[in-house]
Amino acid sequence: MSINVGYFISEAATSFRRNWVMTFGGIATIFLSLLLMGSALLMNSLVTDMVGDIESRINIQVWINDNAEDVDIDGLQTILQNTENVQSVHLVSKDEALQRFTYMTQDSPEIVEQLQGNPLPRSLEIELVDTQDIDSVLTVIRNSEQFPLVADPPADPERALSYGQGIVESLLSATQTARYAGIALVGILAVVSLIFINNTIRLAIYARRNELSIMRLVGASNGFIRAPFILEGILQALVGAILAILVLLAIKSFAFPGLQQTLAFIQFSFTNTLMTHIALVLLVSGIIIGALGAIIAMRKYLKI
Amino acid sequence: MSDLESRLDQIVPEPQFSPRANRGPLMISMRNVSKRYVPNKAALENINVEVAAGEFVFIVGHSGSGKSTFIRMLLREVAPSSGQIIVAGHDLGRLKNSKVPYLRRNIGCVFQDFKLLPNKTAFENVAFALQVIGKSKHVINTQVPEVLRLVGLEGKIHNYPHELSGGEQQRVSVARAFVNRPPLLLCDEPTGNLDPQTSLGIMKLLERINRTGTTTLIATHDQEMVNYMRQRVIALDEGQLVRDQDRGVYGNVD
Repeated sequence: MSINVGYFISEAATSFRRNWVMTFGGIATIFLSLLLMGSALLMNSLVTDMVGDIESRINIQVWINDNAEDVDIDGLQTILQNTENVQSVHLVSKDEALQRFTYMTQDSPEIVEQLQGNPLPRSLEIELVDTQDIDSVLTVIRNSEQFPLVADPPADPERALSYGQGIVESLLSATQTARYAGIALVGILAVVSLIFINNTIRLAIYARRNELSIMRLVGASNGFIRAPFILEGILQALVGAILAILVLLAIKSFAFPGLQQTLAFIQFSFTNTLMTHIALVLLVSGIIIGALGAIIAMRKYLKI
Repeated sequence: MSDLESRLDQIVPEPQFSPRANRGPLMISMRNVSKRYVPNKAALENINVEVAAGEFVFIVGHSGSGKSTFIRMLLREVAPSSGQIIVAGHDLGRLKNSKVPYLRRNIGCVFQDFKLLPNKTAFENVAFALQVIGKSKHVINTQVPEVLRLVGLEGKIHNYPHELSGGEQQRVSVARAFVNRPPLLLCDEPTGNLDPQTSLGIMKLLERINRTGTTTLIATHDQEMVNYMRQRVIALDEGQLVRDQDRGVYGNVD
């Protein structure tokens, strides 16, 4: 068996040299498609982190008018504290609201200086356990008897509710679209690289047709005849995959620190484990594409 | 001296006639075999042939008479449209595709155009046949020089095909067909490209190989050779078997 392995490798290597233009084409296409696949996977993890981060910050704010009775505020707070899916309820006083506002506008302190008194309303800040199920909590608030009494403005209680209406939904649908487009692109490129590898193997078969016909005549087994070609397809795909992984690693180490700095508020889970996973996915898909391309070529052009 | 050569030397001249009844087990059996490449035009029509192990048989006929189809069906390169073919105990109609290589390891093949690989020496060409069926280096290094000596090329084993004459190239091709000691040797116009003198040499070589017990089938239209050798002759004409004669001649197939 040891002889055979050496034979297969040397056959594949010879064919590699002989058809280097086509081989280069095969490697380049598979490199590009795998690079895109890898970038898509990276972006995916990045976007998932971002969406998760934004989602976890979603809470409900109930603006309270300055004339509201403390009893009613306490009542609403108690109801909410006993509601399912509510993590915590915090009453933001007028002073605290001003403090936060001052902090937010610290770059232009003249804004706060020009304020007359404290125009900021109190509010109830409600943190949720599951941000997906925001509606049930909103219903509880709307149905409570205190809500119309404390809402600011009292004339239009609905405007007193603030909960990042629809942000998550639109964010998710946008990323979903991007994800589908990415999958389609990767799919197309995978097909293109399949065709390219198929073509290279076809040429390799053509270049060795005399040898192959003799091999068939003297009774070389089908597996023996096929193995060098499958190996060649896999070899091409592997070179492409390794190049793609190297480029992704380069992107990670050069572009990523800058990105993390710009988006400092988001905690990215951009770890070595993730990179290892992506590298594995790329290697495996490369091997599958390479072997499949070779097998298709042989089914069509190598009648055994 | 190799064991093969010593065996060849011990062979007594064969008897003057060999009645069919005394033949050994069957190597080839064809029953009602027909082959049509296009409908309504038979390449071979209702062929019934039996060849016993150890026979030497000529298949003669014009171009297009079905000789090549006959040979290719025995190799299972083409399947018959109807009928049954048994070669070396394999029923070809029932043989799975994956088993065909193992059938072919029992059949040596020689062709008019030699089918040698130009970038390999005589030694490498013969070794290739053993290499691709997974024989070890040791087997290759002992069997290949031996068989090249048998075909009379001991001085040219490291020459490339373009450095050899046509007859010598055909000898390499015979060596390659025979190196694995197959029980059956098929030759499709083995002397088609050679002059009469060289052809005679090849025929004598094939006859020598036949005497080691290898069943030998030769498709040819080389009238002179057939008449000279006085072996069994199967004549085909337009797909029909028109004559099957022991110790026959090419005859008048027109």
